Amino acid sequence: MGRMAGCVLAVLVLCGAGGCSATRATAKAAAPAASPTRYVLPNGIPVIVQEHRGSELAALQLWVRAGARDESATELGLAHYLEHMLFRGTTSRPTGFVEREVEGVGGAMNAGTSWDFTYYYVTLPPSRVSQGLELLADIATNAALDAEVLDKEKAVVLEEMRQGQDSPRRLVTRTIYSQLFEGHAYGREILGTPDIIRGLTRDTLLSFYRHRYVPEAFSVVVVGPVDAETVVSTARATFGRLPRTGTGRLPLAAPAQFRPRRTELVRQGAHAYLGMAWPAPRLDHADTPALDLLVSILGGRRSSRLVQALREERGTVVAIDAGLSTLGAAGAVLVSAQMDPVNIHAAEEQIVAEIRRVRDRGVTPAELRRAVITAEAAHEFQTETAHGRALALGRAETIWTIEDELAYVRRIRSVSAEQVQAVARRYLDPEQYIFLALVPPRNG
Amino acid sequence: MTRVALALTLVLASTAFAAGGEVPVVRQVLSNGMTVIVREDPGVGVVAVSLQARAGSKFETEATAGITNFVQRLLLRGTQKRTALALADAADEIGGTLDASGEVESAEVRGAAIARQWEPLLALIAEVVLEPTFPAQEVERERSLLLGQLQTRSDLPLSRAIDTALRDVYGPHPYAWPALGRRESVERLTREALAAHYRTMYRADRMTLAISGNVPRTRVIAAAERLFRRVPVVAEAGRASDVVPAPRGERRVVERDVNQAQIVVGFLAPPLADDDYAAARVLGAVLGGGMSSRMFAELRDRRGLAYSVGVLPTAPRTGPALFAAYLGTAPSNADAALTAMLAEVARMRAEPIEARELERAKAYLLGTLAMDRRTSARLAWYLAFYDLIGGGWDWPERFTRAVQAVTAADVTRVAARYLVQPTIVVVRPSAGTVR
Repeated sequence: MGRMAGCVLAVLVLCGAGGCSATRATAKAAAPAASPTRYVLPNGIPVIVQEHRGSELAALQLWVRAGARDESATELGLAHYLEHMLFRGTTSRPTGFVEREVEGVGGAMNAGTSWDFTYYYVTLPPSRVSQGLELLADIATNAALDAEVLDKEKAVVLEEMRQGQDSPRRLVTRTIYSQLFEGHAYGREILGTPDIIRGLTRDTLLSFYRHRYVPEAFSVVVVGPVDAETVVSTARATFGRLPRTGTGRLPLAAPAQFRPRRTELVRQGAHAYLGMAWPAPRLDHADTPALDLLVSILGGRRSSRLVQALREERGTVVAIDAGLSTLGAAGAVLVSAQMDPVNIHAAEEQIVAEIRRVRDRGVTPAELRRAVITAEAAHEFQTETAHGRALALGRAETIWTIEDELAYVRRIRSVSAEQVQAVARRYLDPEQYIFLALVPPRNG
Repeated sequence: MTRVALALTLVLASTAFAAGGEVPVVRQVLSNGMTVIVREDPGVGVVAVSLQARAGSKFETEATAGITNFVQRLLLRGTQKRTALALADAADEIGGTLDASGEVESAEVRGAAIARQWEPLLALIAEVVLEPTFPAQEVERERSLLLGQLQTRSDLPLSRAIDTALRDVYGPHPYAWPALGRRESVERLTREALAAHYRTMYRADRMTLAISGNVPRTRVIAAAERLFRRVPVVAEAGRASDVVPAPRGERRVVERDVNQAQIVVGFLAPPLADDDYAAARVLGAVLGGGMSSRMFAELRDRRGLAYSVGVLPTAPRTGPALFAAYLGTAPSNADAALTAMLAEVARMRAEPIEARELERAKAYLLGTLAMDRRTSARLAWYLAFYDLIGGGWDWPERFTRAVQAVTAADVTRVAARYLVQPTIVVVRPSAGTVR
């Protein structure tokens, strides 16, 4: 998780295929940005460059195929802890380099850790792109991991955990994932546990860094008003010099059959929070586009079925949302809602009724048409900024492919109403799901 | 090196590339006095519209707190032509979004769509602004949602701390409540009062329409003239409160069952038009803007007291703004953290800042401004907002020059003048339950 407060975890956790993926443009759009080009350095590191002249700032990102899924069960939180430490100095850059090199020229830098990957981003004026690439290459391989600094950072990570505990939505999401993917890497806490973090040593962290931060794990993405040749030659002079190690990453097995269950947690507050989840296929599965549209028709927009039925017509909830999250080896459909505590069981019944309805009777052509147009537009909005484009490209390179990413809107357009109904039947079982409620104490 | 060019089905437009800052902006006043600003940007595939009226919680009273936002929400709940659901469907049909809210200094209806749909989007915005019907049933639906949102705010520890600080800093001044209003007023506002308030909000000479995106500007202005000429020229305008906030430097503890204590230290900062405004923003950046600010370096990097720490970005206000430092920490560290925050504030007042620190803060401040103006939606908001409140649509450029002119002595002087009488709020568990 990043150095600054924010909802990076929620974003990383919640982005669906539709939510995060993006294609450059539809054929009808007139955005004059060049196509992304994928170069491969001699040591195998892909460098993806897209010239985007409409932007004043350049986005530089380093994607690393190392995340919470690469930790052993006794070392939870390592990937995330390392992400924090890479901001705390390298062998040639003392603590505080962010000040001089990034914020000092009007740029910004942050990072995010997921189960499948960790990524670091720098946003800079285009004249600073070469220095930005050098900086990313430096933190990728020369982090100091100073023992004293490492100890101090523990308190910061413990505060990050505490902050997450006080956000009901994040608590719902994290708890649901731990149940849906119990026994699998995706069921782990990305931040780790307080005890593991307190006991973390420099040796453990260094070993993870040495084995995971290698050329085989890196991808570099640069989007903005930049010259591709200059970017590639700088990348070759920095990232291109790193020796290959011959280490690879084993593919992650799919989670075992999930166990439906019901949990109620007591938490002070005026509202109750509800989460219901179903397993979904991995990002590259053929059903992903249809499932993406189904989830959009169910929730997520003002005209969506769950919003209309539960919030508008019956007033059961004050907010409701449905999302599809697609990871490298599995996915999840999550419906979350917020309501007066007395309505919690009515809300569950009504959600299940909507699921039965879409399974039995499918979706209308008008609903499908609007969901497709909305998905198309969402891609346009997400890729309006250099940062948004770089995120989509980096994620695709890391857990998917750039070609799939760019073809995604076309695939969305070809989905039929029958396919949407079929995925509703295949994935949304009205009887088997994870149910989680956060409710206020009964006496108050 | 291998080079793999991707096969793509792209149509590249022949239009010249335009960097963000070089895109032409046209401002025109329609025949009824309403202002239209168009930023024609061939570099994007979308269009964004921001229609803002000079209204908002600044023009409310304790009894009407939240009325502007309530009215705005109702604009989306039925017009002479369409129901709430039909309006949502209409926005979906053009791949668009349509939303409305009341803020502190303005009321906004905003929308975005795929660029080629700019005309239906503009027509939809005109429809909700000019033909709302305020159906009685929809008023009640919206009321219960608004009350729910107020509860959500009080459930979130940092929002709770900030809202409490606003009340303590501003007292009877309308900046004391969030644009959402207060439970007591939102519960009581009648449909008649809401409809009457609507009529005071929308008058042509107090409205600005801004459009940013890949659109033909001449046709956009002609369409705006046709769609908005019905906006009345004269109506009874809202009146701003003449109460002067006078914080007493209170210190308040709110007991909640939280895992992390939230601390907010608030001061009154100069309004937008004040000569000290730019220096106060630089001051905020030195003290708590970004990872290299004094608070981040001292309280997080050196002492590990927090994950989130800094000075909240000061919201643009035509009256005295809130300058708020915040921090979240373990309840057992709350006292030490507050002492350390106040020590950093005292240091700002007493010690001069270094040239390097000043330059870092300016770069950070202008960098965050550039980053906030990357999407068409934000660009449209900036154009409409600053034009409407009298700052001029080109405010970012003038603010940039003002920031560049700020000296180290200005920052120390402004700190000494404004960072006085801190209002302190701590949200934490009661003493017996500290974990």
